[in-house]
Amino acid sequence: MTTAVGRVGAVSAPARRLGKLQREGRAAYLFLAPALLFFCVFLILPFVFAIVLAFSDWGGFDLGTLKWAGTANFGDVLSFDGTFVKPILVNTLLFAFGSVFLATFGSVLVAYCIDRLAFQGFWRVLYFLPVVATVVAIGNVWKMMYQPAGLINGVLNKLGVNSIGFLSDASYALPSVTVVQAWASIGGAVLILTAGLKAIPEMYYEAAEVDGANSWHMFWSITLPLLRPALLFVLITQFIGGLQSFALIIVMTGDGGPVNATNVAAFEMYQRAFKYGAWGTASAMAMVLFVIILAITLLQLWVARRRGEETS
Amino acid sequence: MRISRGLRLAVALGLFATAAACGGGGEAGGSGDKVELTLLSHYSDGPSKEGLDKMIQQWNKENPKVQVKAQVVKFDDLLTTMTVRQTGGRGADIVSAYGLWGGQLMKANVVAKVPDDIATKIKAEYSPAALGAVTTGDTLLGYPTELNTYVLFYNKKILAAAGISKPPTTWAELADAAKKTVKRDAKGNIQVEGLSLIQDGDNKSVHPFLSLLDAAGGKFLGPDGTAQFDNAEGKAALKFEADLAAAKATNPSIMPTKQFRSGGVAMAIQAGWWIGSLKTQMKDKYASDVGVTAIPGPTAGSKGSLAYGFFMGVNQRSKHADEAWKFLTWMNEHKAADGQVTETGKWLADQGLIPPRTADQAAYKKTLSDPNLAPIYDAATYAMAEPNQPGAYEAKTALHNAIMGVLADGKNPEDALAQAAKAVKPQ
Repeated sequence: MTTAVGRVGAVSAPARRLGKLQREGRAAYLFLAPALLFFCVFLILPFVFAIVLAFSDWGGFDLGTLKWAGTANFGDVLSFDGTFVKPILVNTLLFAFGSVFLATFGSVLVAYCIDRLAFQGFWRVLYFLPVVATVVAIGNVWKMMYQPAGLINGVLNKLGVNSIGFLSDASYALPSVTVVQAWASIGGAVLILTAGLKAIPEMYYEAAEVDGANSWHMFWSITLPLLRPALLFVLITQFIGGLQSFALIIVMTGDGGPVNATNVAAFEMYQRAFKYGAWGTASAMAMVLFVIILAITLLQLWVARRRGEETS
Repeated sequence: MRISRGLRLAVALGLFATAAACGGGGEAGGSGDKVELTLLSHYSDGPSKEGLDKMIQQWNKENPKVQVKAQVVKFDDLLTTMTVRQTGGRGADIVSAYGLWGGQLMKANVVAKVPDDIATKIKAEYSPAALGAVTTGDTLLGYPTELNTYVLFYNKKILAAAGISKPPTTWAELADAAKKTVKRDAKGNIQVEGLSLIQDGDNKSVHPFLSLLDAAGGKFLGPDGTAQFDNAEGKAALKFEADLAAAKATNPSIMPTKQFRSGGVAMAIQAGWWIGSLKTQMKDKYASDVGVTAIPGPTAGSKGSLAYGFFMGVNQRSKHADEAWKFLTWMNEHKAADGQVTETGKWLADQGLIPPRTADQAAYKKTLSDPNLAPIYDAATYAMAEPNQPGAYEAKTALHNAIMGVLADGKNPEDALAQAAKAVKPQ
């Protein structure tokens, strides 16, 4: 009997631990519940709904009018006769690559210079200001500067160059907006890269100096390699932002013009859904853009892993 | 066990909170016998808001059990507001919408069918242009409200300074006047644009083109939604615009609504509502400088215009459709204080718009105080009504891109129209 009680006692200890773990698990889920609920309601459900819509024909208001369309929306979106693949997707990629390239190059340069200046806080605040300003304000200020009688054309005229239709000429419009997007996103990148620069131990530079390395060698062989984790973060977040961006385009060009020259995927989705009531096509575009963003992000991570970066 | 019960309670509370947050509350309805109708429109400021508010106040005073509440947004936000609110189950009982959106709103079950007796009256009492702009297929979408036609505005002084004594009556004369009046500085910047073919706002480049297309005898879309503009008339109209762009007599970067008043534009193809703005902006100069005439066609005597309209319809989800139709009928039929025209007709005419009701139009036409209004009213008798079947909005965007490709990018008109026609997909 004693033995039996002892055995029962021996078994009940892990059982109690298991019970405790289960209670703790439940408590953990209880605390996680609001976040999980939020995640389900605002991310998972809309995502699933968007997938359903991508295969449907729907006018946007009455679920009773939703009709199964199979892959017709994808056929329509990916057709080379339409405008989505060219110029819209091409514009999206050019806009994202262009703005990321300019912003990254600019932010590395600015962060590197700031790191060597006095009053670093002041310079960081100065470059961060566009991030704090609203897209509407930034877009409108640049729009005015780009006008035929605006500041930039005024300077060009003084230099003997005829006015350029920065936003009205199809060949200049996309680069003009891309420059503004890059300019507006430099501040955020500078902040992250400055933190990355601060994390590089000073002794590497001292050792390089002893070995007779000049500033360029130090930048190329020490700063840039050790800045890679911060650069990777900046590249990925800016790419995703660039591929999804459209607010600046609405403010600066109104309709993605001229001649679709500044029309990008996110803007076209907005137009299709909210203006034309073509929710199925808009959702199919969203799926295509999702796959592209996923592929580019995975590619970036893969390249970074091959170079031995810590990405988790 | 206590935690498990707590967990269940938390999940239940969470779901309850989510349901409460997402469910919203229907705005239409009321307490007891009283009904509150909501009316969503873009009449958000100035005389348009004051006139509508005045009518609503009168109705509310006379009908204490059916109260109407106006909800206003700017025109640019109207469609998206309607879309978002309707999707969230908070659509207004009465919606004021641009005719072009009619087809897609009908397809998506937003606007309710007009009751037969009201539809019969509307069809008998409104002008063909107004009816055409708010009818999709055979379906009337609601009461026509605004009606606008396109005409040629010109600056009398600029034309006179260029040696042109009378407004152009053919495309050849129009092109000649545009080329004679354009002025550029030494750097090539345009000081005065000859003929503006681009507008700001929703109409973009398409409305002037469609007016020229109408003048040439062409059409935009067929009854089934297929593209009709890719033919000889369409190509001629776009080539006419292309030649002006090549001669730099027209320029897409000039905003006529901003630059006409200061003498920066000699001629512009624009809608009749512009009269009201020009009078306010130009004051005394309006009478001496601004002239209005019909948009000429390729040959002498030919002319064309585009008519677009707005309508007020009842939301298919409204719980008080009968009351909504009663209000709309009263709003559109009751007479103004003078007993000659309807209050709605007066409200629209006061804003410089054409009243869509035939009797109101005739009454105003007899006593037009501004000679510039005469061509605008005349155009209502011959203008092409803007098509509005499902897909018409997308077709209009495709055409806009084609026109911009020609004017801003130097693309060949035939290729541009062929590409636009391919993008038009009948629904």
